[in-house]
Amino acid sequence: MSIEPDTLSPAMPRRARWRLSGAQIITGIAASVLLMLAFLAVFADWIAPYDPLRQSLMEALQWPSTAHWLGTDDLGRDVLSRLIYGCRIAAIAAAEATSIAVLLGVPIGLFIGYRGGLWDWIVMRIVEAVVSIPGIMVAIVIIAILGAGLHRAMIALGILFSTSFLRLARGVVLAEREEVYVRSARVVGASDNRILLRHILPNIAPPLIVQVTLTVGAVLLAEAGLSFIGLGVQPPQASWGTMLNTAAAFMDFNWFLSVPPGIAIILTVLSVNLLGDVLRDSIGRGIAVGVRPETPAVRFEAAASPSSEAGLTSSPRPADEILWVESLQVMVSARDGGEIPVITDLSLSIAKGETLGLVGESGSGKTLTGLSILGLLGAGARTTHGSILLNGRDLRTLPRKQIEQVRGNEVAMVFQDPTTSLNPAFTVGSQIVEVLRSKQGLTQKQAWNHAVELIDRVGIPRPEERARAYPHELSGGMAQRIAIARALSCNPSLLIADEPTTALDVTVQQEILDLFRDLQDEFGMAILFVTHDLAVAADICDRIGVMYAGELVEMADVDPLFADPRHPYTRGLLSAMPHASDRNPPLPTIRGNVPRPGTWPLGCRFSNRCDFKSAACDARIPLVGTGRQVRCVRAGEFDMEAVS
Amino acid sequence: MTDKPLLKITDLEVTYWGRSLLGLGGKPFHAVKGANLSIRAGETLGLVGESGSGKSSIANTVLGLVPASSGSIRFDDTELTSVKTRYPPAVRSQIQAVFQDPFSSLNPSMTVEDIVTEPLRVHTGMNRAERRARAVELLKLVSLSEEHLGRHPHQFSGGQRQRIAIASALALEPKLIVLDEPVSALDVSTQNQIINLLYERRAEFGIAYLMIAHDLALVHHISDRIAVMYLGHIVEEGPSDRVYKAPAHPYTKALLDAVPLLDPAAQRQRRAARKSAAVLEAPRVSATGCPYRNRCPLVMARCQTEMPPAYTVDGGGMASCFLHATDAGTASEGARFKEHAAP
Repeated sequence: MSIEPDTLSPAMPRRARWRLSGAQIITGIAASVLLMLAFLAVFADWIAPYDPLRQSLMEALQWPSTAHWLGTDDLGRDVLSRLIYGCRIAAIAAAEATSIAVLLGVPIGLFIGYRGGLWDWIVMRIVEAVVSIPGIMVAIVIIAILGAGLHRAMIALGILFSTSFLRLARGVVLAEREEVYVRSARVVGASDNRILLRHILPNIAPPLIVQVTLTVGAVLLAEAGLSFIGLGVQPPQASWGTMLNTAAAFMDFNWFLSVPPGIAIILTVLSVNLLGDVLRDSIGRGIAVGVRPETPAVRFEAAASPSSEAGLTSSPRPADEILWVESLQVMVSARDGGEIPVITDLSLSIAKGETLGLVGESGSGKTLTGLSILGLLGAGARTTHGSILLNGRDLRTLPRKQIEQVRGNEVAMVFQDPTTSLNPAFTVGSQIVEVLRSKQGLTQKQAWNHAVELIDRVGIPRPEERARAYPHELSGGMAQRIAIARALSCNPSLLIADEPTTALDVTVQQEILDLFRDLQDEFGMAILFVTHDLAVAADICDRIGVMYAGELVEMADVDPLFADPRHPYTRGLLSAMPHASDRNPPLPTIRGNVPRPGTWPLGCRFSNRCDFKSAACDARIPLVGTGRQVRCVRAGEFDMEAVS
Repeated sequence: MTDKPLLKITDLEVTYWGRSLLGLGGKPFHAVKGANLSIRAGETLGLVGESGSGKSSIANTVLGLVPASSGSIRFDDTELTSVKTRYPPAVRSQIQAVFQDPFSSLNPSMTVEDIVTEPLRVHTGMNRAERRARAVELLKLVSLSEEHLGRHPHQFSGGQRQRIAIASALALEPKLIVLDEPVSALDVSTQNQIINLLYERRAEFGIAYLMIAHDLALVHHISDRIAVMYLGHIVEEGPSDRVYKAPAHPYTKALLDAVPLLDPAAQRQRRAARKSAAVLEAPRVSATGCPYRNRCPLVMARCQTEMPPAYTVDGGGMASCFLHATDAGTASEGARFKEHAAP
């Protein structure tokens, strides 16, 4: 989760847009340099003004002139022509060495990565030996065996660079062969060769493309270097390296000789590498980041939403409320550059010592609600409308520094997977100490003692000892207790728990739920409990808000909600719970799927899956009621039988 | 259904060897200890347990992905544990699988057509057109259609991906499909769609399922019989309804009781009644004694030293628990359990 505090303060300048266009300009320049290089290489015979090998000792070492735009070298040959022919050598060299490297490195890497064992050990030790020696030395040794010359030098470079392709391919295979789809292929009965070539190889393409561009740049440099020391292209053939070699010898007479090949090498290598960078960045990043900062916070369908009028949604504000969220709207940037709403018209409040559950399926926006309260929406998402009042202060208007102080101190979060929300590199005790020292300014000793107390408080035996343990040394349930201890370390008034028991076994879940309840009795914090599991919500929550497609569809106290669910979606969810029925299939289902943001029906968002749809459902439906709220026009109309 | 089992697992042991720094030695980890199971043709066996119970190890061993350390797995008339490298095609095509995570079980670089027809390419001599026709047929079986053939997995929701995985598993008309937590990554409303789909296809083709899950309630809907695993041991086995409604092993009961009720008032009562039997120390596994004794509220003296054998249980099946011992001196303990088991 990347921290993007900017999302809370729209006034702050954003550079996302600039970065994007900057990258585009660089890509354009780099690509056109390389295109020009390719063009010159192919059409050198027609473009070059002179024969690159034609000597004219009378015109040796001339400075640039109208006859020779870039001057002449020590033998009176035209530098521009030699430079153009050098493009051809560069292109041949890059293609030759890179293909040798790919064709040699990738298959071996695939093989040893998949097979492992002795082969892997032997090959990797050889590779390590090769890469531990400076590359140019290895190339020189290989050339010493093969003899000098462009093609032999390129074979040498190909062998040298194959080690990086080998390691790349091996790394990808090692990662991919643990994927479930490889297991599926084995169950199908695909042979090892088939799994390697048909299932794994296609997934190697993205990193391979990047590695190829980087290698091309490195080959160009190495070719120039080898030719410079006389091991690559042999005179009188023109290559950028040999040109530099000549220039070095006549530096005192005409320093300009070194400039054209030097610039050519720098430009080409730079372009290839930049292109590689852009490619690497573009692969695997699906959504283009960049929300326009200057867009005013337009409320989604503000006019069409009847709930914005007359304060129909506002329930009476309890005196001891901790959190008050009003008309929250969150947008994410779409691929086409526009924005899609993911949360709309969301209002809720939590009182001191109260647990409010947010339940819904994936894509309902319940997790984003929690994150937007903390100001931790990822890149590409932002809160565009509404207010988030925590202890009376609107978090959306607070500057970034103050938000950081609020996080941890006043509001804390517990995430789903404790093994990833705790840093594996530090002991669990030190992770609590860090929070205490940075948020409360305790000394190391005070903080440590307090951390041990907290670990004891969350029910972990031998707290002194456990504080010195690393997260991987603890079971999932134990690690989640530590995460809870860390969240509670500064005694926050609001705790946001995002699916805190979903990754745990059911018997451990029960213990963690008990712990939440005990701690709430003791510390009195408000809890926003996000879960997909209605049974867990029934156990822990005082009030429950049911979310569907970015909005609340029902909000009620826990007992009436389960005894008499009013929204068809709530009813559907309840009857679909595994424990709800005792019958053989077909089990009750809600037809269709949860629609993705951007594909919501215009009126009631559940209407396309609802068995009770009527004409009135094509208009936006407000969330109505005081105390008990429901977003359904027919909620009071038909007597929905209670689901037991 | 015939009485001859399609799959018979006898005294199966699966042991993983940890690696020490030098790559040699390391500690053994006994994932499965002496498991006995059998599945008849067309029958569904639910295998339930928490993480680390060994249920996935059994699945992977049946699938030939993990070698058995000892014991026997017979499929039809083939002894699978004696197969050295890979199953013969005749067996391989008859045992297929659907895995848990629909986001990594489908190859992201392949199209739906490639994924669904891959078993046909490996096992049959069908040409491209025949394979395509079969793929359309298979997609219809899982309520998808021809238009989905050319798409890639990332264009589908979790439930749809799981349908694609099921279509691929059905391609060779196998006799047994191992379902490893097939719905636990899905939303509630989608879970039941997939369960219904599996149920219908079973009725249609007479496939046997070995369904691995952590949720007893979910498995109970589709299983004929249920086996419960704890720390590598099968502690209870029996007809689905009996295990779900009258659990015979204290662990099975704990597993059922740990799932919160959908009725908040009843859940509050249960919570108040529940003794805080939280055991935070990792359960110690020793060579002797009942594996559940450290967490069991009904633990007896003999549980510490003796491994309870499988006792027959009223209503069918077995439980490895001394509470069901018929020998003298334990009758009162049995009564105690019945009291405990009553709601």
